[in-house]
Amino acid sequence: MGKVLDNKCPNCGAAIHFKPELGKFKCDYCDSEFTAEQLKDMEKIGNEEVDTTNYVNYNCPDCGAEIITDENTAATFCVYCGNTSIIKNRLSGEFAPKYIIPFKVEKKKAIEAFKGLRKGRPLTPKAFVSEKNIEKITGVYIPFWLYDVDVSGTVNAKATKVSSWSVGDTRYTKTDYYKVIRSGNMVFNRVPVDGSTRFNNDMMNSIEPFDYGKLIDYNHAYLSGFLAEKYDVSKDDAFEDAKVRTINSTRDQMLSSMVGYSTKTITSSDLESKANNTEYVLLPVWMVNVKYNGEFYLFAMNGESGKFIGNIPLDKKKAWIVSIISFVIAFLLCALISYLIYCGGNA
Amino acid sequence: MRRLKFLFVFVLCFFSFNVLAQGTDGSNYGNTNVKVFERTESNKWGVNKHWTIDSNNLGNVKKTPYVDSSRKVYDFAEILTDSEESVIKKSIDDFIEKTNIDMVFLSINRPYNKDSENEAYAADFYDYNDFGIDFDNYSGILLLRNDFSYNRYYDIYTFGDAQLYFDQNRYDNILDGIYDSFVGKDYLEGIDYFISKCSYYYDKGYAPKFKNAYITGDGYIKFNYSFPFMPCLLGAGLITLITMLILVKKNKMVRKATNASEYLSKDSIKYTEHVDQFVNSHTTHYTVSSSSGGSHGGSSGGGHSCGGGRHG
Repeated sequence: MGKVLDNKCPNCGAAIHFKPELGKFKCDYCDSEFTAEQLKDMEKIGNEEVDTTNYVNYNCPDCGAEIITDENTAATFCVYCGNTSIIKNRLSGEFAPKYIIPFKVEKKKAIEAFKGLRKGRPLTPKAFVSEKNIEKITGVYIPFWLYDVDVSGTVNAKATKVSSWSVGDTRYTKTDYYKVIRSGNMVFNRVPVDGSTRFNNDMMNSIEPFDYGKLIDYNHAYLSGFLAEKYDVSKDDAFEDAKVRTINSTRDQMLSSMVGYSTKTITSSDLESKANNTEYVLLPVWMVNVKYNGEFYLFAMNGESGKFIGNIPLDKKKAWIVSIISFVIAFLLCALISYLIYCGGNA
Repeated sequence: MRRLKFLFVFVLCFFSFNVLAQGTDGSNYGNTNVKVFERTESNKWGVNKHWTIDSNNLGNVKKTPYVDSSRKVYDFAEILTDSEESVIKKSIDDFIEKTNIDMVFLSINRPYNKDSENEAYAADFYDYNDFGIDFDNYSGILLLRNDFSYNRYYDIYTFGDAQLYFDQNRYDNILDGIYDSFVGKDYLEGIDYFISKCSYYYDKGYAPKFKNAYITGDGYIKFNYSFPFMPCLLGAGLITLITMLILVKKNKMVRKATNASEYLSKDSIKYTEHVDQFVNSHTTHYTVSSSSGGSHGGSSGGGHSCGGGRHG
C-alpha cells in the first residue's frame, strides 16, 4: 500500500486518474474530466477539501494485472480484462458484511426509470435524460449500518381542552389546562445509516426503505458486475444519525398518545437512545452522475425497490414558459370567479 | 311580581297597537300627542308606496301605526318633553332640507325576545308610512329607541339611497357615540349627536364599501361590476407562485430524514408513566347580539340596512 498525494474528484469525491488518451484526469464514477491546471486551481481554492488518500495496488485475480484503487473500494472493474475484481480483505474481518440485498432491478429497468423522471415534471430539461447520460448508470453496493435501537425516557407537555356553549345571547368558552407526562420505552428495528462518506446522507435517507425481507447472508458472488464500497464511518459515529431520528420519532409517538386535547406543547423531554444490535450490510443502489450546464447532479435508485431520487435541474426557459401560461390561466380564472361572485352576490 | 309587571306591559302595548291605531280621524296614541289614523281598504291601508299588500303582509300593515309622516318625531314611549321634541324636529327638518334624505325618530315601549323583532317593527313603521316618499328609493334614516324597561335597546335603520352612506364602521361610531347619552336618559343630547353624525357622513359621501353600489327599486343594495384588476393580478401571481413551487419541489426529491417512524415496532411501545393531570380552568364569555348589522328585507318586500343595535 503506498501513500501518494491524491486528487479526489471535486464533484463526487471518488479517486480521479490521469487518462493519457484524453490528456486529462477523469473520474471513473461520474465521468468528470479535469486538466491538471484545473485540479491545481481547485486544490488551491479548497485545500482542506482535497485531502491525501491512500492508494492501493493489487493484482486482478483473473488476469493478474496491477490495479490501483482508493482505500474504500471493495469491488471494482479490472481495466485490462473487464471482470469484476473483488478486494477480499476489504470484505472480511471487521469489514465482512453480515447480509446483502442483491440487486433486484436490472440496469435496463434502472435506465427506463431514469428516463421516466421527466414524466410529470415539466421543468426537467429535455437533454437531461439523454442516452449519453443514462449510459453512465452504475450499480454500487453501498455499506449500511442497521441498528436495533431502544429509546426510553420521559416527555412532559402542557395541554388544553377547549369547550364552548351558549346560554341565551351569551357564548361561554372554557379552557381546561393539563399537565401531561408520558414515560416509557420503544424499540426501532434495523434503522439504516449509510457507512460511507462518499455518498450523501440525505440522498441515502431518501431512497429508503429497503425490504429487509430480502436480506440474505453475504456472499462475494453477488458483487459480480457491480462496484462495492467498504464502510469508512464507524458504527459508533454513524449511530448519531440513527439516534436523532429515533429520538424524534419517540417524541412524536409519545405526543400522539396524548389524545383528547385541543392543543399540546412539549415543555421538556429526556430521551435516551441505545443501540442493542448493529449489523453491517451491503445494500444495492444504482448511481448516475449527470452533467448539466457545467454542474453535476447525482441520482440514486434503490436497487431493490426501484425508487429513484435526486435533484433534477430546472430548465429556465421551460420555467418561464410554464410561469407565463400558469399566470395567464390563473388571471382568467380569477376574472371569471370575480364575475361569478358578482352575479351570485347580486342574485 | 316581575312576571305580572311584564304581562301588564305586554297587554298594554298589545292593546295600544291594535285598538288605538284604528282611530278614524287621527286619534291620539295613548297619552301621547302622536296621532294615529285608521288603515282601511278604501285608503289602501294607508300605504302609498309601491309595495304589494297581500295576505302575506296585511297583518303587519294593520298592526303598524299609521302616522302623519311630516311629524318626524314619534315618541310613543314618552321619553322626550314637548320642548325637546320641538328642538329635535327642527334639527331633523334642517337635515332633510340639506340632504334630501328623510329622517325619523321613533320611541316605543315594547316587549321583545329578539333584537330582530325591533328591526321588523322599525322597518314596517318606515315602510308602511309615507316616509322617504319624495326621495330616491324612499331614502331615509330611522333611529329607534325601545324603552322596554327589562331590556332597553336602540338601533339605526336606513332605507333607499341612505343605505349607501353607512357601512358598519359608521353605524358603530354613531351607536357607540350615543350610548352614554341614552343610558343616562339624556335623549336630546344623544339624538342631536345622531343627527350631526348623519350630516357629517352625508358630507363625506358614500361609505367606501358602497362607492360602486346602487339601490334597486325595492331598496336593496347592488354593486356594479368593476373588474378587480389588482386582486386578479395578485391572485394570479399567488397561484403561479404556488404552481411553480409545487413543480420545483417535484424536481427536488432529496430530503433529509428526521425520523424513523417506519422502523418503530408498534408492539414494543410500553408506557411506565401515563399522567394526565388537571391543573386549572379558565372560562370567558361574551354576548352575541341576536340581530346583526347589514342589509335585510322587510315584510313589505323592500330592503333596508341596520347597524346591529345596542342594549342599554
